[in-house]
Amino acid sequence: MTSVPTPISTNPIALRTRRQASIYEQQRRWGWIFLSPWLIGFFAFTFIPIVASLIFSFTDFTLTRPDRISFVGLNNWLKLFNDPLALNALRVTIGFALLSLPVAIALPVLLAALLNSKYLLGKPFFRLLFYLPYMVPAISGIFIWQAFLNGQTGWLNRLLRLMGISEPPNWLGNEFWIGPAMVLMGVWGVGNAMLITLATLQGVPQELYDAAKVDGADAVKAFFKITLPMISPVIFYNLILSVIGLLQYFVVPYVLTRGTGNPNGAAYFFNMHLYRTAFLFQDMGYGATMAWFIFLIAIVLTIILFATSRRWVYYAGGE
Amino acid sequence: MSRKVLFILFLAAAIALMPTLSNAQAQSRTVVTWFVGLGTGAQPAQIEAQNRAVEKFNASQNEIELKINIAASFEAAYDALATLFAAGDAPDIIGPVGFLGANSFADAWLDLQPFVEKYNYDLSQFPESLVNLYRTEEGLMGIPFAVFPSLIFYNKDLFDEAELPYPPSDFNQPYVLNGEEREWNWDTLADLAVELTVDANGLTPNDPGFDPNQIRQFGFIQQWALLRAELNTFGGHPVYDPELGKVVLPDYWREQLRWTYNGLWKRHFIPNATYEGSELLQPSAFASGNVAMARVPLWYTCCIGDLKSNWDLAVVPSYKGQYHVPTDADTFRITKASKNPDAAFKVLTYLLGEAAPELLLVYGGYPARPDLQEAATKLRQESFPSVTNWDIVPKSLAYAAAPHHEAFFPNFSKGMQRFADFRSQLYGDTGKDMDLEAEINKLEADLQAIVAEVVGR
Repeated sequence: MTSVPTPISTNPIALRTRRQASIYEQQRRWGWIFLSPWLIGFFAFTFIPIVASLIFSFTDFTLTRPDRISFVGLNNWLKLFNDPLALNALRVTIGFALLSLPVAIALPVLLAALLNSKYLLGKPFFRLLFYLPYMVPAISGIFIWQAFLNGQTGWLNRLLRLMGISEPPNWLGNEFWIGPAMVLMGVWGVGNAMLITLATLQGVPQELYDAAKVDGADAVKAFFKITLPMISPVIFYNLILSVIGLLQYFVVPYVLTRGTGNPNGAAYFFNMHLYRTAFLFQDMGYGATMAWFIFLIAIVLTIILFATSRRWVYYAGGE
Repeated sequence: MSRKVLFILFLAAAIALMPTLSNAQAQSRTVVTWFVGLGTGAQPAQIEAQNRAVEKFNASQNEIELKINIAASFEAAYDALATLFAAGDAPDIIGPVGFLGANSFADAWLDLQPFVEKYNYDLSQFPESLVNLYRTEEGLMGIPFAVFPSLIFYNKDLFDEAELPYPPSDFNQPYVLNGEEREWNWDTLADLAVELTVDANGLTPNDPGFDPNQIRQFGFIQQWALLRAELNTFGGHPVYDPELGKVVLPDYWREQLRWTYNGLWKRHFIPNATYEGSELLQPSAFASGNVAMARVPLWYTCCIGDLKSNWDLAVVPSYKGQYHVPTDADTFRITKASKNPDAAFKVLTYLLGEAAPELLLVYGGYPARPDLQEAATKLRQESFPSVTNWDIVPKSLAYAAAPHHEAFFPNFSKGMQRFADFRSQLYGDTGKDMDLEAEINKLEADLQAIVAEVVGR
């Protein structure tokens, strides 16, 4: 038997396929190279710390004496449910969320509707005016508000006194008023949500309104029956971000109360307790447990919101 | 194309290696790292002076390479240092740092006594009372560097306006109030402060019709104070007594809290938190020119430049015939984790010795070494011509309240936070209606629980 040499393929289709495969291979390689800075950063600074923090939550790890780390099982988790400060901090966080969430959701919609109105003159000016505070760095903004809300010399109370209210509230010194004061401060942050809502509002087809008008709908009815359903995906988006943002709420109360959470613990949010525990008291094990606890709450709330969204969020192009 | 990829990777590796190669020579020396930020040291002028001190040291010998690591800010320093410890990359020397900063990293410090003996370091150049501040059961945890006794800063112009005599410029001097010669104690200060407190209608708290919601000038403030420092003005006491196994708040601390409560909410000569945050008392209470007297450590000269009035210094009042002066103290410490403690000790002696005059100057510290004190006083005299009583500063050191108001107790950071929360409650609006005795008992019980979390674990 004589062996027949395998002929080199001269088939143009096979050649093209091989060349294309080579190009794909190169593109894939370059794709990974371009992605690698982000991937390395993600693994080094996000994924690995997340996994490490989960492991820490079952240990008594402290930053200054890492050599003394030992496994404590579920002790940190049991401690969390018996820690009155943690439970109070959670109560403060949830209470503030209930107070702040309606404002954070409704105000951008109202402002966007206002800015979208054909009767409003100087729209670009108002758009700028409402968006501008969002650009102010958080810490500077807090200091400005701190001066504005001071019970003695703050402009708000001066104004209230001029209006005849002789004893206006001590916004930052009273446990009842500090919550509304922080909601008021949060109003400065609605610029971004307002702008996204406005962009969506401007995309609602005019024909829908024209048809509603022909059917005899007034402006209020058109708003609830057309505008709201059409912008519901953006409201849903803002809602998800607001819920997560509220569970991460830290900078404002921390700076405002100089880390104390007072008056009477009314501004002692869960993340302040977490920060104190992990970084001031250096109890990283228990701090990691708290971080995971608030993360789990965020996950559960997000799942619930997504589940309910099928009932009230309308996607014009389908889901 | 794959060759190009290899070339890029090679280039990146070469760039990454460059600093290592350039540092190769420096690595042949023993490297000592100096971490700055737990106390002062992060201001531009201080950074320059510290860098100069490092350069001078490195140029002066060939055995040690001193490297400095300055935290971005005081606020960031704790986290940065904790991270360095956790990463097993602890610095050799940390400072300047006070007791508060040091105790936040308790168990991290090296006993210096063996090195003092090994290198015959002369501790007698420092007052013994200051050296003893650093002696603990574990040994000698530091060597004195800068001290800041508490003083009464007073606004001469406000006293002149009220036609009241200035407070005493020396210990054991009386004060004449309304023609009556009285011991200069905290009760006298309170009565004097009431006379210096004025509302929008020019009335003092002693006058009928005084409006506590419209105060325009206050008599006294414990400025930027830790609660334990305020308590120590009536006498020092350990928070936790290991022999009794208990946290005890002594009666004189309870009395100090009653004194403060009355000053805040009944006699209105101390500004509450709302007033302190108001425009009236900016940029800081005493520097605003609207507070007649402030008990604050000497380091406050750092921040008094905005005060347009003439001011001077007086002695801290006595309590039951005894003076108790809360005194802050900063120094440099060597960490237990230092891989080169001998080299670190050499650097430490340099910082406390040759480099000390310039560093003390930029830190605003009063020298613990008596031979440097005269120059420090002269410098302050030039900066603050209205002040005549500088001699109170060294005299006050003899009355330093002990134990120190930042002295360690088990679960220190958590316990100190509880003290801070109590102060915030007392000075905030919540203080007005608080049941003081019940809250003091609660503070004691909470501190007991906090200590118990770690004692015997």
